[in-house]
Amino acid sequence: MPERSSQQAIIHARLPIVALFLIILAAMLIVHLANFQFFPRSVRQELERIGSSITNTTLRIPAERGMIYDRDGEPLTFNILQYRLGVSPNLVFDAETLMKQLSVILDMDEVELYFKLTSDNVWEFVAGPISAEQGQAVAALGDISLGLEEIPKRFYPQGSLAAHAIGIVLDDGLIGTLGVEGAYNSTLAGRVMDLSVSNVPFSLPEDRPAEQRGQDIVLTLDRDVQFWMEAELEQAVKENGAFRGSIIVMDPRNGEVLALANYPSFDPNRFLEITDPNLLVNPAVQETFEPGSLVQALTAAAALESGAITEQWSYNDIGVIEIGGREFRNRYFRSHGAVDIAGVLSKSLHVGSATMALEMGEEAFYNGLRSFGLGQATGVGLFNEELGELRLRGDTGWSESVFGLNTYGQGMEVTPMQIITAFATIANDGVMRQPHIVRQVIGEDGAIDARLSTVRRVLSTETARFVKDLLVRTVREGAPEAYMPNYTVAGKPGTAQINTAIGFEAGPNSSIVSFIGFLPADEPEVVAMVKLDRPDDFFGFEVAAPVFRRIADRLVILLEIPDDAAQRALHAVEASLRATPAGQE
Amino acid sequence: MSQAWIQHTFSRRRFQTQSRATAIAILSVAILLILGSLYLSQVAAFAITNREIEDLIGRRDEIKQQNEQLIGEIASYRIVPRLYARAVEIGFRPATNEDIDYLVFVDYNPNRQASPYVAATQRYAEPTAPVYDETFGGWLRAQFDHFRRQFQTFGG
Repeated sequence: MPERSSQQAIIHARLPIVALFLIILAAMLIVHLANFQFFPRSVRQELERIGSSITNTTLRIPAERGMIYDRDGEPLTFNILQYRLGVSPNLVFDAETLMKQLSVILDMDEVELYFKLTSDNVWEFVAGPISAEQGQAVAALGDISLGLEEIPKRFYPQGSLAAHAIGIVLDDGLIGTLGVEGAYNSTLAGRVMDLSVSNVPFSLPEDRPAEQRGQDIVLTLDRDVQFWMEAELEQAVKENGAFRGSIIVMDPRNGEVLALANYPSFDPNRFLEITDPNLLVNPAVQETFEPGSLVQALTAAAALESGAITEQWSYNDIGVIEIGGREFRNRYFRSHGAVDIAGVLSKSLHVGSATMALEMGEEAFYNGLRSFGLGQATGVGLFNEELGELRLRGDTGWSESVFGLNTYGQGMEVTPMQIITAFATIANDGVMRQPHIVRQVIGEDGAIDARLSTVRRVLSTETARFVKDLLVRTVREGAPEAYMPNYTVAGKPGTAQINTAIGFEAGPNSSIVSFIGFLPADEPEVVAMVKLDRPDDFFGFEVAAPVFRRIADRLVILLEIPDDAAQRALHAVEASLRATPAGQE
Repeated sequence: MSQAWIQHTFSRRRFQTQSRATAIAILSVAILLILGSLYLSQVAAFAITNREIEDLIGRRDEIKQQNEQLIGEIASYRIVPRLYARAVEIGFRPATNEDIDYLVFVDYNPNRQASPYVAATQRYAEPTAPVYDETFGGWLRAQFDHFRRQFQTFGG
């Protein structure tokens, strides 16, 4: 009995130790369990990913790219689908039959197809991109070994019309470049989404969210005006033996670009076939040129605005002037005696514009040109716009002789868009409107209109109107080729020699000619610029002015601009209506 | 002897308990099978419907795509060079300034406020669907109306 009690005593003594051991063991087990349950975030996510990869598939849904329309709603772009066709040779049941069926649909060589269908690879590319019709015909075969992958593609129904302005899309329809496609890529592209789809068919199929689609864009371009400008430009380039050319048409009242034509151009549906990559550059905004005597109008305007010269200003032209140790001479080295501002512009006198610039001073001259927007991006809404170059005192390469060159538009670089915007400012009574090519952006929440935006007032109304009168005289006396019998046209021809590392080019086809004009001169409704590179003849008034005349003839019809007589009659009616008391109409 | 054994065996309460348990088990399994098959049929119907919806969405997308293709095709037939060539073909020519006369009407104000056009509208009484409340009485009325409509359609 005492023996048993001693045993019990031992058990009693050891029991707490065993209990403690078991408690520790249980605690460790609980800690391990907890550790197992509460993984670090990264591990948990990875485990969840592996788990969901078994039951879910992630589909990359490309966003449908927004459309581009002209100002009248004519579609300029479309999204179409093409397909890439592949095959799992292991799943091909009857290679011979499938080969024959595919050969008919794809118009492919049967032997080549047979090798692909019987290949040892797990997956074999068959053809692509193939058209939507071919893709649908392949899908209709219902063969499980065939796999079709969608390739979104941009289609431009108007072909080469406004190609540089609209732009192109690369990378299976995802990245816009050039023109509006490039400048507004993020607006047009929408959102590419990764959608997790359950492999278990118990969840309701989801539709694509509407907000994923890109926004539509309405341009300021007028398809008809664009077509005629392109046709006239092509004819002008060919007739004049020019290397290339550009035409821009703008409404000076609101800065809307109505047409932007370049020749040679390209078909954006076949841009991969282009051999000359320079064709994919938009010369209207992505290339600069020396504007030449076009700038004389801006020099005169700046001098008048600064107060350095008055409307009655004149000078004695001796045919030569020296600035910074360099002599500047008029065309054909002629002297003209007493000449007023109109004479400087109509005869395109280098000495005259240099004299005006000297009288206003270098700082006021450059301030004037800068306020006209030269050497700055216009923000018109096109891809990769060039800034141009207007060197100031202190800049590399600037000297007083460069200042002398600048007074008549040489030794500086501007884009055609910059220089037409400057002339549109004069046409719009000195107020510079923001040039723009996008009129409206249409999204899920409705349409947002481009607001009429003023950049700044560059000239007083009086100065602008006087400069307009000067430009009317310039057309009559200096560029009668641009004169229109029933309309008052204001304008200025420009001729620029092409600058090279060893000086200005000489000989045939060695100039860039241009003409910028607007009409009706009193209340301009349209301003247009013609620029031709390296034509057979040398001067702007003899090459570009007649082209301007032709396009102006077309523009007054397309834009329904009444002639001067009708304008006067309309003004008289408006005046009488204003005089009539309200309610008596 | 043998009869006594059988009586003894059948009179054992334990056996009786087991037979009841077996019956309950069989019943449970039967109920489970019925519920399971009901659930499976529902799930299958749901999956089939989902598949049908998926097919319809696919078909809709396909039709939308075809529609866009057609719009694109129409747009490419309406390009200006084509219209211009056709116009020339049927005898038109581009207008010139000499072809255009501007007429100014003395009393016509081109900038007047246009009075908004008010379309003549005729209101029709729209047929209203009967409304039934969600009670047994409402359900009964709905069934009765349904039968009545059926009989009416039989009668022509």
